[in-house]
Amino acid sequence: MADTPQSGLLAVRLVTPDRILLDATAEAVELPSMSGYLEALYGAAPLLAELGAGEVRLHGGTSGDQKFFVAWGFVEVLPERVTILAETALHPNEIDRAEAQQELQEGQKLWQEAGDDGEKYDEANAITRRAEEKIASADGKST
Amino acid sequence: MANVLDLRRRIRSVKNTRQITKAMKMVSAAKLRRAQERAIQARPYAKMLTNVLESLVRRTDAYSDETGEILHPLLEEREEKNVLVVFVAGDKGFAGAFNSNIVKAGQAFIGSRIAEGKTVDMELIGRKAVTHVGKRFPMAVYEKKTEHYDNELATHHEIIRHRSQPIEVAATHADLLHSLDFDRVSDIARSIIESYSRKEIDSVYLVYNEFKSVIAQRVVVEKLLPIRKLGLQEISAAEEMTKEQRDAVARAAVSSGISANIPEESVIEYEAKKFGTAEVDYIFDQSPQRLLRHLMPRYVTTQLFHAFLESVAAEHAARMTAMDSATTNAGEMIDALSLKMNRVRQAAITKEIIEIVSGAAAL
Repeated sequence: MADTPQSGLLAVRLVTPDRILLDATAEAVELPSMSGYLEALYGAAPLLAELGAGEVRLHGGTSGDQKFFVAWGFVEVLPERVTILAETALHPNEIDRAEAQQELQEGQKLWQEAGDDGEKYDEANAITRRAEEKIASADGKST
Repeated sequence: MANVLDLRRRIRSVKNTRQITKAMKMVSAAKLRRAQERAIQARPYAKMLTNVLESLVRRTDAYSDETGEILHPLLEEREEKNVLVVFVAGDKGFAGAFNSNIVKAGQAFIGSRIAEGKTVDMELIGRKAVTHVGKRFPMAVYEKKTEHYDNELATHHEIIRHRSQPIEVAATHADLLHSLDFDRVSDIARSIIESYSRKEIDSVYLVYNEFKSVIAQRVVVEKLLPIRKLGLQEISAAEEMTKEQRDAVARAAVSSGISANIPEESVIEYEAKKFGTAEVDYIFDQSPQRLLRHLMPRYVTTQLFHAFLESVAAEHAARMTAMDSATTNAGEMIDALSLKMNRVRQAAITKEIIEIVSGAAAL
């Protein structure tokens, strides 16, 4: 797109089943897609991707840098807008570490008990990963 | 004939009742406002999820090219032999005919399916559903069978259902509605999907009170599974509000300061409708099968969540209306009693005057 300006602000919106958690602008957004982190800048190519567990990070917006922990979601990236649909989204300060620890143990237990059921393994892995990411996000050292 | 003192006592008691019903009405109005707000806040997510799924299903065929298998079990239609009915009633009474309407609609629907020789399972949501319906039917009995083979290295779990009655209760959730959260709804959806996938049930219907706005409500029987058309409600039966009911609820809403109109679509909701539908070629970085596997259960959860939110709002609206008419009735009763009391008092005075006058005349 020739007429796309080189710089500008992305409109970022984070929507959860309960409410609209965030409606802000940013220069760049980091997204924890299923196949690894990706970063969207102004003028990005349209993309739809599934999000795994991890942190959504906003950089250089009008309200400064912001981080949110999300667990499963979907993102639509358009040249001037990023809309994130997240099943769970929390501010790192809102994370209950004890609960996350418990979820981690739960996931490990499920993994042990999964037997030969492939789907159960996937589920156990998803829970474990989610709990690990949650703890990392609460500690402020998410990868 | 009642004396003045008795009547005064009755008036006082009715006045107290009126105060209580009025307070209950205001409480319900406040709760309704919050519930309505919540239902509206939940809409963008639901809409966006539906959009993504729609565009996914549109881009890919429902059947795999190579194997000819259906891409997702929830899209598969099979002969309806066992039906799951999800009953969504209220938590408390004092809500007029709210709970009994739902029970009636559900029973009529179940009756029709039983008449066709099908069997029915029920999933009961809300305390009143559990107390009204749950007590009358047996709980479903499941047996979990675990097989070990390959020298105990591998295990296989199987859940077997033992049915004894044509109508059984699959599960009850009495305390879900008063602290409704997405995770718990997600657990319910998962269990429903599991029993659908293992072919224990062939279709799922929701019986609940739909709430579009205060004056646009109805009791509906909505088909949840199999999914025939995404984002489209498939209503099997609906009972609209009568004109009197609509007037009553509109009056109650206006007197408690709630708008009776359908709330206007917010900017965000409008934009949510466009989510994933821009006229561009999106890059999809996962395979459709994989995406469908993750999206489908969420779609079902969102549908359930939405129905529950609407039902909660409808329950508060019903209670508000019931309490509003109770307050009006109490007012009318006070007026009638006051009139009667005044008459009795006046009669006593007149009698006394007559006595005095005739006494004086006799002198």
